[in-house]
Amino acid sequence: MITETSSVPAAVLSAPTITEQAPHIDYWLLSPLLVVFGAAVLGVLFEALVPQARRRALQLGLALAATAAAFVLTVLQGGSIPAGEAGTTLALGSVAVDRVALFLQGTILVLAFISLLLIAENRRGESAFAAQAATVPGSEEERSHILAGSQHTEVYPLVLFAVLGMQLFTAANDFLTMFIALEVMSLPLYLLCGLARRRRLFSQEAAVKYFLLGAFSSAFFLFGIALVYGYAGSVNFARVSEAIDAGGASLFEDGSGEPLLLIGIALIGVGLLFKVGAVPFHNWKPDVYQGAPTPITALMASCTLVAAFGALLRVFYTAFGASVDQWRPMLWTVAILTMVLAAVVAVTQRDIKRLLAYSSVVHAGFMLTAVVAASPEGLAGAMFYLAAYGFTTIGAFAIVTLVRTHENGPEAGELAQWAGLGRTSPLLAGSLALFLLAFAGIPLTSGFIGKFAVFEAAMAAGATPLVVVGVLSSAVTAFFYVRIIVLMFFSEPAETGPTVIRAGGLTGSAIAVGVAATFLLGVFPSPVLDNLVPQPSEEAAEPAVATADGFTR
Amino acid sequence: MELYAPVLVLGAIGAAFVVVSMVVGSIAGPKRYNRAKLQAYECGIEPTPQPAGGGRFTIKYYLTAMLFIVFDIEIIFLYPWAVHFDELGLFGLIAMVLFLVNVSIAYAYEWRRGGLEWE
Amino acid sequence: MLSLVIFLPLAVAVGLYAVPRLSDRVVAWSWIVACAVDFALVIAMWIGHGTGDGISYEANVRWIPSVRAGYHIGVDGLSLPLLALTSLLFLACAIYSLRQERQVRAFAALFLFLQTVSLGLFAALDLLLFFVFFDLSIVGMYFVIAGWGHGDRMRSALKFFLYTFLGSLVLLLGFIGLYLGAEPHTFDMVELTRTPPLAGSAGLGGLVLLAIGIGLAIKTPTVPFHTWLPPAHTDAPAAGSAILAGILLKMGTYGFIRIAMPMLPDAWRRYAWVIIIVGLISVLYGALVAFAQEDLKRLIAYTSVNHMGYIIVALGAAGAVGDQAARQLAVTGAVTQMVSHGLITGALFLLAGILYGRARTYDMGRFGGLAGGAPVFSGLVAVGAFASLGLPGFSGFIAEFQIFTGVIGSGGTAIVVVGALAILGILITAALFLRLLHRTVLGPPGELTAQVTDVHRSELGAVAPLLVLSVIIGVAPRFLLDVIEPFSAAVVSLVAR
Repeated sequence: MITETSSVPAAVLSAPTITEQAPHIDYWLLSPLLVVFGAAVLGVLFEALVPQARRRALQLGLALAATAAAFVLTVLQGGSIPAGEAGTTLALGSVAVDRVALFLQGTILVLAFISLLLIAENRRGESAFAAQAATVPGSEEERSHILAGSQHTEVYPLVLFAVLGMQLFTAANDFLTMFIALEVMSLPLYLLCGLARRRRLFSQEAAVKYFLLGAFSSAFFLFGIALVYGYAGSVNFARVSEAIDAGGASLFEDGSGEPLLLIGIALIGVGLLFKVGAVPFHNWKPDVYQGAPTPITALMASCTLVAAFGALLRVFYTAFGASVDQWRPMLWTVAILTMVLAAVVAVTQRDIKRLLAYSSVVHAGFMLTAVVAASPEGLAGAMFYLAAYGFTTIGAFAIVTLVRTHENGPEAGELAQWAGLGRTSPLLAGSLALFLLAFAGIPLTSGFIGKFAVFEAAMAAGATPLVVVGVLSSAVTAFFYVRIIVLMFFSEPAETGPTVIRAGGLTGSAIAVGVAATFLLGVFPSPVLDNLVPQPSEEAAEPAVATADGFTR
Repeated sequence: MELYAPVLVLGAIGAAFVVVSMVVGSIAGPKRYNRAKLQAYECGIEPTPQPAGGGRFTIKYYLTAMLFIVFDIEIIFLYPWAVHFDELGLFGLIAMVLFLVNVSIAYAYEWRRGGLEWE
Repeated sequence: MLSLVIFLPLAVAVGLYAVPRLSDRVVAWSWIVACAVDFALVIAMWIGHGTGDGISYEANVRWIPSVRAGYHIGVDGLSLPLLALTSLLFLACAIYSLRQERQVRAFAALFLFLQTVSLGLFAALDLLLFFVFFDLSIVGMYFVIAGWGHGDRMRSALKFFLYTFLGSLVLLLGFIGLYLGAEPHTFDMVELTRTPPLAGSAGLGGLVLLAIGIGLAIKTPTVPFHTWLPPAHTDAPAAGSAILAGILLKMGTYGFIRIAMPMLPDAWRRYAWVIIIVGLISVLYGALVAFAQEDLKRLIAYTSVNHMGYIIVALGAAGAVGDQAARQLAVTGAVTQMVSHGLITGALFLLAGILYGRARTYDMGRFGGLAGGAPVFSGLVAVGAFASLGLPGFSGFIAEFQIFTGVIGSGGTAIVVVGALAILGILITAALFLRLLHRTVLGPPGELTAQVTDVHRSELGAVAPLLVLSVIIGVAPRFLLDVIEPFSAAVVSLVAR
């Protein structure tokens, strides 16, 4: 264990670089995050000072403008990275600005923009959110708030805070920044989950469940950070990677710190896999996706998944990249469990939101195969998959918001009620059918290209058994996607059939974007895919570059 | 490992003291209950009546608790800044002002939305 | 020109939906016209291609450059007969469906979509493009069965979809294996054929062949992957069955000739005996089970398993040692058999559909003596049955004769035994088709015979050309063989590398 010399405490204390010099921070590179943060703070101020009647329009405009502006800034920065370079880090190496981070941030911002459209949808003064979340469900007070038309416009700043956390989560380059990002991302989401307008107790239960399990997993994550810090003497990803190469920080004899590192990797893995929703850390997903207001579910299923995978990829590719042989079996097991169990359980689901939740778990398993590949192709495949899946899943949830049990009723979650939807509203059912086919990975949809890219990367990395499991799991998932299509198009409409409410302009455009992206990314994937896959010619020009995968180190 | 031995010993002694004093007190001490003794202790003032059936605290306590956090957490950041004020210079000053502005925005929100009104 | 041929049906399908409120009659006739134009274009391409052994009408556009997949299409001696078969059979289905009443527009659009997919598959020269069409054919056929089938159609359609979809995914695995094995990585079939990937590693080559083999075997289907076929056929609408048996099954064997044989010649030669045995089992099993069927459509479905088995045996023999000319003959026979089976089985399924349309059952035991009330129909059934059992004068004979000659000539004693056993399959099919004729067309009238009226003009117009063409190929096959032979010579030399 630790060498017993009197100089040890001094060595421990002197290891972290505590500087008293003020750090230099490049605010231009941080600007996409600062814009979103500023808008969120401004949103809180609006809540305090602007009269209620004018808040919604103001908040929505601010949130949309902020995400759009942040997206433009992200793209500008992507363009300013010199060709052949991965990017740079700033704020003492705690935030990375590289191609991977910028691509994922851009994806998150676009998806958040679409989600905001869904969140803002307002039919006759009725949004998806509770009129006054503090009132007891079913009470007289609640009724009076509903009649008065109260609204929680706090939703918009909360979403912006969550988006900020997601942006930072993908770019965090040391464990502490990553933890803060994790919390900034999660806390608003916990709250947003409990704000559903209908079935409020259910929604609040989901929020509490999400919060408790999330806090639990954060604790694992934090403990893992502590152990890795103990092993490496630093929380910075690049330093951790160097420490692994060197066999641990200087106070360890050769290899004696290995257990610390392994347990640390496992615990950090638990924290991240929880956010991703991989089996066996997936239990929150169906409950939360079902209970949360559907627009928020769309936000979580797309943006949060992108952010969580961004963090997972960065941690395992950069910080733990040197000990790939140690963590690969772990992720291998998790990926297989995820793909098999979630697919099997999903078959038995009777509720559309739960089914989409389990399907999201299965897709997480497919993407994990790309993480296991631990190659530039795997990274590119996973990133493409994330973007493709995000657009499709928002579209699917947007459709869920439109199918109600009756006019002015709650959403019709029961799949049995969806029978015959293809007859009554073919356009809507057709869009959903396209999304489901994309989930199943049918060619000419984005889902096929994504699945193809990750499977190809995993096979190239020698994980063929994993891909075989993935293929079998794909077939199982195809079963329940196709079953919904059959239900919609070939079943007689039920007596108590659902009512499809007219899509407002906001929801309609969210669905339209989803359809367009699903189709375009499926037919012409090259513009996106080519930017992600390292070009062979560049590889030849710079042999054995450490940054061939686009991460800065 | 030997480095930590004294800490462990101290911890063991502390735990033993708690256990021993509670056990001895429950065995040796006199037990005479009355109404006042059985009530919840709230710093000597009249205990706030609790709603029947659930023991829920009214939401007002949480609002106050949140207000407490707004002002309490500030100290943790202000103190080290004050200690290293000279070295941090203008950068530190700007950072701290921004931080305080952010905190006061949260305060303004609570104030405007009625968080400070007890009734 | 080739792209026009491929996408013309799809364009018409979109057009059908773009114009509002078309009457069913207009839809049906524009469907027929589209198919006829497409067929004419294919004939024009046939004439233009001549009898060379190269690829003509080639087009190559970048699609996903990062994985070197392109929109690469072209036709050669293998594609052309299948393209012609596809456009003809779809034309026959369009004519047959003139009497269709339920959701005509959607039905027409779906078939036009399927036609584009099938034509595209037979013209694709890129693995990824091939796979895209392969998968879309499954989706299209799934909707045909689920939407317009009868009986337990949901279940059959789902079984069909899951089974073949799983097969397609396994096929994708194999394709990725080929892609990774090639240096530099590519999906281009022409390049992969020129320099076969995985030439150095026998084990990997075997695994990739296994994946591709299973994927294609499910589609073909061969025993033991055939179990989706009978229910799918039984519950599909007649035109759907005709396309499924006539075109979609060919995708499996086409894949063997186009992809597995030239790209994995080593593995193909090494495992030729496995392929021959699987084919042989399909031949015998298909024939025997067909013999036991009471249901007319199941019977035809199982004879499909039998007929596709001949093709597999022939392709396996092409990888055996032995006389080059004999192996070429086997491949030529296999391609001829693909065309012949498409024509004959397509016709038989349409005839079965006519029977079902009148009497709402496929149970042969309840018919009998149809020749009295429906002479033309009976005549067509008789011609179809004789063609299917391989009577000289029909295309089936030309194909099977070449296959057996080729197989027996291509190797040693073991293969001769196989050939002899496979001929046994012909005997059984002959017996079962004679029994079929005996029970339905001849003999005393059954309980439902009175309901069976004779064929309408549109039905005759759909079925007769298929059978006539079968006779033409049977009598004067040169026009077809001249196109195929250069190709089979090329394939045999590729496999022998």
